[in-house]
Amino acid sequence: MSVVALDDERGIALCADGAGARHSVETALVGPVAIGDSVLVHAATALARLS
Amino acid sequence: MKYVDEFRDPELGRVLATEILAAVEPGRHYKFMEVCGGHTHSIYKFGVDDLLPENVELVHGPGCPVCVIPMGRVDDGIAIAREPGVIFTCFGDMMRIPGSAGSLLEAKAQGADIRMVYSPLDALRIAKENPDREVVFFAIGFETTAPSTALTLKRARAEGIRNFTCMCNHVTIVPPLRALLESPDMRLDGFVGPGHVSTVVGARPFEFIPRDYGTPIVVAGFEPLDILHAIRMILAQLAEGRCEVENQYARVVPYDGNPRALEVMAEVFELRPHFEWRGLGFISQSGLKLSEAYADLDAERRFSVPGIRVADPKACQCGEVLKGVIKPWECKVFGTACTPERPIGTCMVSSEGACAAYYNFGRFAREREVV
Repeated sequence: MSVVALDDERGIALCADGAGARHSVETALVGPVAIGDSVLVHAATALARLS
Repeated sequence: MKYVDEFRDPELGRVLATEILAAVEPGRHYKFMEVCGGHTHSIYKFGVDDLLPENVELVHGPGCPVCVIPMGRVDDGIAIAREPGVIFTCFGDMMRIPGSAGSLLEAKAQGADIRMVYSPLDALRIAKENPDREVVFFAIGFETTAPSTALTLKRARAEGIRNFTCMCNHVTIVPPLRALLESPDMRLDGFVGPGHVSTVVGARPFEFIPRDYGTPIVVAGFEPLDILHAIRMILAQLAEGRCEVENQYARVVPYDGNPRALEVMAEVFELRPHFEWRGLGFISQSGLKLSEAYADLDAERRFSVPGIRVADPKACQCGEVLKGVIKPWECKVFGTACTPERPIGTCMVSSEGACAAYYNFGRFAREREVV
């Protein structure tokens, strides 16, 4: 998924999947992310940064 | 390569298939196990096995998290779901897994408030929206999904949400692999190692496989070229007399995994002395429960659960499928009494289950062969 918006206060990113659907994703396990980053997501948690 | 289409390039697939054909010894039979249900799904969906020589056999391992949940745990979940005031939440696949007296979906039809969620965070949101109800999350999965559950429990603790608990069914990948390797009827020439689990645990925990059992393992991604490449790498190890852990999925998997995920799991979970796996029986230190520090968020402590072990239906051969002893189509009820619409066994429910993957994709190729 790619990061499209950030909620730094809650540690959550809004991410878009390949089909464009948007999901709230916990990003605590991959450190700070930026808009445009690609992340591997499982059960709404980013496990790895791909970019 | 960067985009998914590139990992599905048919021309590159044919090149790898040619290399695999050149790498096999005529007259030798190779048996490789893909550990992860995601691999099984991709193999059938993309027809990867059709590109392999006849003497390279893929058998399917116990890596589908839904498939390994025993019936007794489903019964325990249903018992909690039927408690007054409970909202019971779980992933969609879990809803249709049969227990001894029906599935969670059937319990929902009978009146229990059971809701499908996409993630534990969704379950936590439901708890916040329903402060006068007890919300239980039925957590399943290997180390891939366990960090998500752990983070959610930490978040519940930090936000002071007291009406949220977790029924933990998380399992770990190494103990069942060791159990399979110890099995006298199992002879494997190599493993296609689990990609997404390894994102969390890394490739290092699999070093015991070559060291103690003399079997190579290549951690692989989930696209068809990833799987073909991993098979090519295993064959190269065998041809060169090497036996080691290799990481084909290095674009995602660090050799030592994700340290933050491992840290949060260590804080929130601890190993159970033993845990029952469907088809594999009880395996020591293979399941996770909430640690003492999070005991107040443990649904099994807040609610009474039957905890009764239930034997699988006699007709169901999921156990043999999960151990790679038989192929899905060799099960007596495959495609007749057991279908994705009316599953008897767990392997026919999840899209990562070997039987469902084969039923949805592979059987057509086999039917062509038979004709």
